[in-house]
Amino acid sequence: MAGDPLIFEIKRNSLDDGPGIRTVIFFKGCPLSCSWCQNPEGRCPRVEISFDRKKCIDCKTCLNICKNSALDRHPLYFIEREKCDLCFECADNCPTEALARVGRHISVQEIMDAVVRDIPFFNTSGGGVTLSGGEATLYMPFASKLLQALKQQDISTLLETCGHFDFQAFDELIYPWLDQIYYDLKFFDSGFHRKYCGVPNDQILENFEKLYARSLDGGVPILPRIPLVPRLTAVKTNLRALAAFLRKNKARQVSLLEYNPLWQDKMITVGMTSDYDKTDWMTKKEVKVCRSFFKKFDII
Amino acid sequence: MNTIFPANVSAHLLLQAMAANYNLRYRYRKYLKSTNGWIDFSVGFRTRDDTIVQTISFKDGRARVTGRIIKNVDAVIVFEDDSAFMNMLSNSSEEVLTMMLKNRIRIKGNHLCVLLFYFLMSLLMNEFKGKGTGKETARNGNTPPRKKSALPKHVPERPSIRRKATLTIERTGEGVKYLDDPYLSQYCLEDFPRLGRFLSIHFDTMPEVCPERAKLITDWYLKNGFEKKRNGQPWIPETRQAYAFKHLMENKKPIIREDDLIAGTTTTMPIGAVMYPDSQGMFIWPELYTMSSREMNPCRVSRRTAKVLHHHVFPFWMRRNIKLWVGEKYNNPLCEQIGDHLVVYILSKSVALSHTIADFPTLLALGTSGIRRKISEELLRDTAADKQKRYTLEAMSICLDGLESYTRNLAGHARKLARKAVSTQRRGELERLAEICDKVAVDPPDTLDEAINLIWIAWVALHMENTNVGLSLGRMDQWLQPFFESDIEKCTTQEQREKYIKHAIRLVCCFFLRCTDHIPMSPDVGKHVVGGAPANQAVTLGGVTPDGKDAVNDMTYIFLKATEMLGIRDPNVNARYSPEKNSDTYLKRLCEVNLITTASPSMHNDSAVITSLEEFDYPIEDVRDWSSTGCVEPTLSGKHIGHTGCMMMNMVAALEMALNDGTHPLMKWDLGPKTGSIDNGAFPTFEDFFEAFKIQFEFLIANAVQYNNYLGESHSVMRPTPLLSAMIRDCIRNGKDLTKGGARYNSSGIACIGLIDVTDSLIAIKKFVYDDKLITFAELKDAVDSNFKKHSMLYAMIQNKSVRFGSGNAEALEMANRITKVTHDAFASHRNFRGGIYTTGFWSMSNHVAFGMLTGALPSGRLAGAPFTPGLTPQSHASNNLLDNIKDVAGLDPHNMNNNIAFNIKVFPAAGESHEKSVDDIYSYVKTYFDLGGMQIQLNVINTETLRDAMARPENYQNLLVRISGYNAYFTTLTKELQLELIHRAEFGI
Repeated sequence: MAGDPLIFEIKRNSLDDGPGIRTVIFFKGCPLSCSWCQNPEGRCPRVEISFDRKKCIDCKTCLNICKNSALDRHPLYFIEREKCDLCFECADNCPTEALARVGRHISVQEIMDAVVRDIPFFNTSGGGVTLSGGEATLYMPFASKLLQALKQQDISTLLETCGHFDFQAFDELIYPWLDQIYYDLKFFDSGFHRKYCGVPNDQILENFEKLYARSLDGGVPILPRIPLVPRLTAVKTNLRALAAFLRKNKARQVSLLEYNPLWQDKMITVGMTSDYDKTDWMTKKEVKVCRSFFKKFDII
Repeated sequence: MNTIFPANVSAHLLLQAMAANYNLRYRYRKYLKSTNGWIDFSVGFRTRDDTIVQTISFKDGRARVTGRIIKNVDAVIVFEDDSAFMNMLSNSSEEVLTMMLKNRIRIKGNHLCVLLFYFLMSLLMNEFKGKGTGKETARNGNTPPRKKSALPKHVPERPSIRRKATLTIERTGEGVKYLDDPYLSQYCLEDFPRLGRFLSIHFDTMPEVCPERAKLITDWYLKNGFEKKRNGQPWIPETRQAYAFKHLMENKKPIIREDDLIAGTTTTMPIGAVMYPDSQGMFIWPELYTMSSREMNPCRVSRRTAKVLHHHVFPFWMRRNIKLWVGEKYNNPLCEQIGDHLVVYILSKSVALSHTIADFPTLLALGTSGIRRKISEELLRDTAADKQKRYTLEAMSICLDGLESYTRNLAGHARKLARKAVSTQRRGELERLAEICDKVAVDPPDTLDEAINLIWIAWVALHMENTNVGLSLGRMDQWLQPFFESDIEKCTTQEQREKYIKHAIRLVCCFFLRCTDHIPMSPDVGKHVVGGAPANQAVTLGGVTPDGKDAVNDMTYIFLKATEMLGIRDPNVNARYSPEKNSDTYLKRLCEVNLITTASPSMHNDSAVITSLEEFDYPIEDVRDWSSTGCVEPTLSGKHIGHTGCMMMNMVAALEMALNDGTHPLMKWDLGPKTGSIDNGAFPTFEDFFEAFKIQFEFLIANAVQYNNYLGESHSVMRPTPLLSAMIRDCIRNGKDLTKGGARYNSSGIACIGLIDVTDSLIAIKKFVYDDKLITFAELKDAVDSNFKKHSMLYAMIQNKSVRFGSGNAEALEMANRITKVTHDAFASHRNFRGGIYTTGFWSMSNHVAFGMLTGALPSGRLAGAPFTPGLTPQSHASNNLLDNIKDVAGLDPHNMNNNIAFNIKVFPAAGESHEKSVDDIYSYVKTYFDLGGMQIQLNVINTETLRDAMARPENYQNLLVRISGYNAYFTTLTKELQLELIHRAEFGI
């Protein structure tokens, strides 16, 4: 995709997106459309408006400002998105930031300004910067510039990716500047992958095989991660197949990401829906069953 | 007084009824009698507009009511209006206090007489309310005693599994010479059965008021006089104190707890509240019969104790008190009047001056005989010494006699117990204790158990002389390491060594638990001011040696092991960490102990503290030898009377007065300078308003300092402390008591409260009113005055769009630095009674909640009555990012914070996180904070959910340790307000 990406969040002090204390850069836009998407606001590559009912104090400032009468029309979403022309007058005037713009063009320099403040924390903790999303590899030229700027400052870099990218471009623009990759695998079966994630997974698995072979050969270390989504990915056949796939690639480590239902609230704020509806956390027992498929692995 | 007011008639009749009861009924009349004759006193009552004017006086066992304020009345209670008078009669002492705080009631004159009046009234009210007389209440007690259980319960967050999961570490190349695994991970509490028993006593025993000290000194003074001797000659205060102390120590009951390895106790109770009638002790007078049934921190008072206190002790001291002396000598000066409202400043100087570190190294090196020798050498050396000096030195000697007698009594007692001991092991221990006591009664110790016993016995003695508030232990690891080394060198086999190390851990734990045998005497109101606080006996570990080398040694880690295993609130363990000299291994261990105990030790950046003391010309070796005192404050060990907790200063009061042209809104009192009215447009620029704030603050500071100086003078008359003086460097050489400035270094330290609320408020004013011009100052003031009612938009804007300290905003940080400088400079411009400087700190004990309750809404968006932030911790919603908090606090200039700070963070490991990763994460934050120059940090490693559950089910969380601001307390002993404040603190998951 041409042009610079939108960034929807720069999250500092993250302890879960790689080693140590990290700053995570969330790119907006994703080639996949997983039905349990944890960051639904990161899916669409365009600017969006969000509404968080919990923050609203019902002051009605926005209703008076909106020239398209797009607000307060929808019982669940508040915003009638067909009418909204994304002028953001309402968001700019909202006293509590209940209405907010999602996604901004931020230059590499601006990102660096935000990042360098936390270098002391990276140093003591062995942390650094993680590129996440959405999907950062949708914007390879920009991501490449950013990664180079980070390496110039000697900041450790990590990419979280769905693996759905053009290998050659990735190899040229991204790979040389990475210290670590977190590579998400959802379904082994391409049909399921297409059904629940929007695209087939042939490219993803192929890319993984190539990158993993390199990592064994002294290349950038890769941690495969599997999101455990009850009834979808977290089922026997799928986990067994993924485990076999990983073994075939001589992977020793795997990270199993326990299902987190908090995405559903986020989805409402950006006016989306999903058919997937599990609203609670996994039980310890469920997790244990999932882990049992990876007995020979170091589960992180 | 020509008009007859109905309220005055009612008041008269009510007081008459009280008088009649005391005149006619024996059950009440007997309370008017003391062991030294009838208790004579009078209390006047009047409303501001004189609708009520009455006096009740008691003389020679007769009560009389007069329809005017009589001449020489002891005290007058001034009521805001008639209903305030009626409220006083019908409400609990708690509500009366709230009325006092809100300026509905004011007391002029001798407040102790008012307390006595409340006591007498409470006896009647109890009957009137059907509670029966106080006696029965005392006997039955309204609340069931705390449950007895074999072992203390553990909070869910610290199951034994976690304790077993302590990290192991290979010995590092620091001063650790003998511990193979300095983390001592092989030991756990279950290895030490007696410690488990002592812990149960600590958690399951209701403290009890101990009258021993008060009774013995009162006996002596009744016999020998206080102001004057029997022969009419005035007493030299030092001499008088010394003799009374000696009498006390000679007659103090020697007690050795069953199975204890350390001899002596502070009181005769398993856990005792020590009575200091010359300072704050008498505040419990109205509560004598209700203390055991009060909701918060109940404390037993036996019938016998109540009798001794009411009839014997209190009547003697009701006209002799440190605070009273000031009011009488200086005729109730303005500075005292302000202090009495408890809204602007609270002076702990009226309680004690002994917030310091005694010179234990000298005591350990020379023994009491060595100190005595120094005294006689000084008498010989200084042939020109004046009488005062001679008396002072003599007084020190007399006190040492007292200490020696007590130690010998302990030896005798140990021998007696040994004879009766059933088990051979215990007999051996007791015989050894007898030997130890005999030896350290005069001679210096040679072994660790001798050294620890000597320190403890001296500690008891110091507490018989000085109030148990903040007197601190100092660098125990440094001072005990030589004894540890010499002991362990005598071990010839590995097995012996291991046995000895275990013994050293046990001894230190016994010492920690000894320190829990006493608590401060606190009236019910204390729950707000020092909520759940113990005596705050600070122990300091680690850091650098006087010559600047890494000071972490074997004993440092043994003390950390004790801290980890016991998880108790007192001693208040403070760890110094030098980023240049101390190892990561050590810092990581500090983090691990915090993770396990949930709240201890508090951690200090050695370099920042040393930098903060740069402005004084203290020799660097002495500065490097600093110890935490009470909460966090630095004292140069053994040489320095820094009275580092002399006052709690409410900074926000100055802001409120600047907003109101010098009037304090809650007190409705126009006490401050007229700095301009917002409604009249008095502040064209932000700088004009800042100046007004500065003027009001300096005015309050000047008054607070004056009051503190008067109280300092009072100490020199009422309560010189010859024993402690003998244990502070240079008092002997100067022949001067420490209350008069005999110590080598002198200062007074302040705790300023509300820095962040002031900073955020000033920033909000600057941004919204002056920079962005979104609102007028008058609008903002109106919103603040109405507690943001009808200003919800403005409120939302302030909540969401303000820049705040702790959000990484450079302007807010600059503002905070500017305010700390103004504060520091204002205090530094004053001198105390002992000729020392004033130092400025930013920590709050629990007063951020107490002062918050008495403060209106603020421009920062903080609502009326809400707590301020603890210490200088950013607002919980300043940033959702802990890193911003850490960076901003680390960005504060240490030069303006020379009485230290308290920076709280609440972190909690995610479920399922490994012990090692949790320690690493905490370590990363703390290490970075220190690398960035942060001065002090204290953790609560606990999640909000657990705190909520502990509020609902306190019985399961008896030992849940939390850090308030500077000190540790058990969560369940806190007021609801304080518990909520802890819950509302930002929680950062790790």
